[in-house]
Amino acid sequence: MSLLLQVVSAGLSVGAVYALVAVGFGVVANGTGAVNFVQGEFVMLGGIVAGAVDERWHPPLPVSVLAALLAGAVAGLLTAPAVTRFSRNRNPELITLATVGLAVALKAAVLLATDRGTYPLPHFFGERPLRVAGATVDTQTLWNLAVAVVVAVALSAFFRRTRRGTILRAAADDAEMATAFGVSFGSTARWVFVLAGALGALAGVGLAPLSVMSYDSGTLLGLKGFAAAMLGGLGNLYGALVGGLLLGLAETAVAGYGSAGYGDAVAFVILLLVLFTRPTGLFARRSVSRV
Amino acid sequence: MKNRYRLAAPVAAAVLLTGCAAGGSGGSSGKTIKVGTLYSVTGPAANVGDKMRKGTELAVDQLNQQGGIGGKKIEWKFYDPAGDTSTAVSQTRKLLTSDKVDVVVGGGSASGIALAMGQLTEPAKKVFVATEGARQIVQPEAKHPLTFKATFNDTVVVNKIVQYWQAKGIKRVALLPDTSGFGQSALEVAKTAVPAAGIKLDVASFDPGTSDFTPLLSRLAKNRPQAYLAWTTDSSGVTFLKNARSVIRDPSALIQHGFGFVDDRYMKQAGQASVGTVLSSPKLPVYDELPASDPQRATIARFVAAYQAKFHEQPNVYAGEAYDAMMVAAAGIKKAGTTDGPKLATAIETLGTYTGVTGVFRYGPQDHSGLGVDGVAMIKWTGTRFEVAR
Repeated sequence: MSLLLQVVSAGLSVGAVYALVAVGFGVVANGTGAVNFVQGEFVMLGGIVAGAVDERWHPPLPVSVLAALLAGAVAGLLTAPAVTRFSRNRNPELITLATVGLAVALKAAVLLATDRGTYPLPHFFGERPLRVAGATVDTQTLWNLAVAVVVAVALSAFFRRTRRGTILRAAADDAEMATAFGVSFGSTARWVFVLAGALGALAGVGLAPLSVMSYDSGTLLGLKGFAAAMLGGLGNLYGALVGGLLLGLAETAVAGYGSAGYGDAVAFVILLLVLFTRPTGLFARRSVSRV
Repeated sequence: MKNRYRLAAPVAAAVLLTGCAAGGSGGSSGKTIKVGTLYSVTGPAANVGDKMRKGTELAVDQLNQQGGIGGKKIEWKFYDPAGDTSTAVSQTRKLLTSDKVDVVVGGGSASGIALAMGQLTEPAKKVFVATEGARQIVQPEAKHPLTFKATFNDTVVVNKIVQYWQAKGIKRVALLPDTSGFGQSALEVAKTAVPAAGIKLDVASFDPGTSDFTPLLSRLAKNRPQAYLAWTTDSSGVTFLKNARSVIRDPSALIQHGFGFVDDRYMKQAGQASVGTVLSSPKLPVYDELPASDPQRATIARFVAAYQAKFHEQPNVYAGEAYDAMMVAAAGIKKAGTTDGPKLATAIETLGTYTGVTGVFRYGPQDHSGLGVDGVAMIKWTGTRFEVAR
């Protein structure tokens, strides 16, 4: 019983981080139609900036967190032109490819800047874990869960209910049409990448107290977040939340009852299954195209 | 007329250059001993490679100040493969064919690179002293007659840990190796060595980068092991320490790391959770606590003092291994009176007891790693430093 509870608690803990990464994928998909493979590196950047600021100046924790969010937003702001400007042809496939290249470049830059160092961050609410019926629940997990839920709900409302959100979705749906209506593609891309960068950094500062961050912490997280996003349906932010949590639970169940050596494989098996059977995700309605 | 001059200048230059080069190499081969070294001072293993380079550099300096080996100064050729095996292979070829080194010391700061280098130095009939860990670099010895290393085999370290458990009366342990070659190689050894000592073993492998060990630890905790031993060099070992202290309810259970995690930075990053962690390591981190009778104490103290004076920083175990590798090669050359591969290898095998920084080396025809359990220290992190674990 306590093992089951522990598996669930750990699953939600890891899953909340995957969910935040998946929401980041969803945001970029909603604004550009592209898959943003820099997302995992945004997470790494956020965790490292928070950890480095904390280590260097020992400011109150919120300051380190804000610095990380700012760094993520700036990285997003720089990503937007880097992946959209090099070609006049703004199709999602080109942007996706460009993000792969940029992810490698960002990782290499952080490797050089940090000299392969590792950075921890204190727990937001103290190291003392809660004990629930024989299982250990980290307070950081509760924070991460809360953040993931709030972010998914708030951004979902933003994309559905606000004028700016609707414009962004329209731009993703048909960039040419949106441009014809006077929506600048550059500003659309800036919006979504800044959001995605800050979201990634938020996931990074949530994860850093649970582990330690280094230049190579982001790549695998990015791929797993992508698997979670596909599971929930790319662009569906509630779907991303559920997909992330499901993925986390599946992974820790394998670690708890089987062998943790196969933990990483779970995400990719799920990704393949989703791509083969339900490429639009678990929650997508069948799309009807009118001619 | 003009044309002839135009040709003459480069031809003359070329003749002069080749003349110089020929004269240079011809003159030096008799008067100096050429040592070739590869360490990855950039790239993913940079922090390890940097310490290794400094360790070997210190050894070369000291040897040359004493007048070289048998009156011949050392000429040191150094390349940085940056962690890349194919770069290392071409640099090793260069060392062997164009630099014409007499002996190779240091294997690129990664076991994979050292394994590849051994494939080149053996056919070239040159002795190679590696500074990397994998026991496959030298085993089986019959296939690697000219290859040695100055590091512990994981077999030795695991055996030392088993002895430590036996002395503490521990009957049941849990091993958490990572899924890399480093972790799985130790698992292979532990699977036979631990049960053979009458200790029950539970195993749970994990992927490097794991961010939550609690399900794994909860599962292992069911059997109430008296020690939890993680085997990794990955930073997720920090998470292991944090999770272990929160999940494992038994305060007397030992939380342990193998010999890939002896780094005070990692210990500090785990905060309060790392206090009391027991690790296995060469004696360097705790040399000042060693009894005066320990043969290594004076050697390590001299090394630490010389290293600090030259580089103004603390040496670590990697610097010690790289220093030893050069010194072992030098002792062998002195004994053999030649750098001829097979003769030098026999000399190293028959050096007898050589007290180094990493341990007391006793090489033999069947042991090209030379180190026994007496060189491994069980150490404990106090929260600020390492001390001998009792």
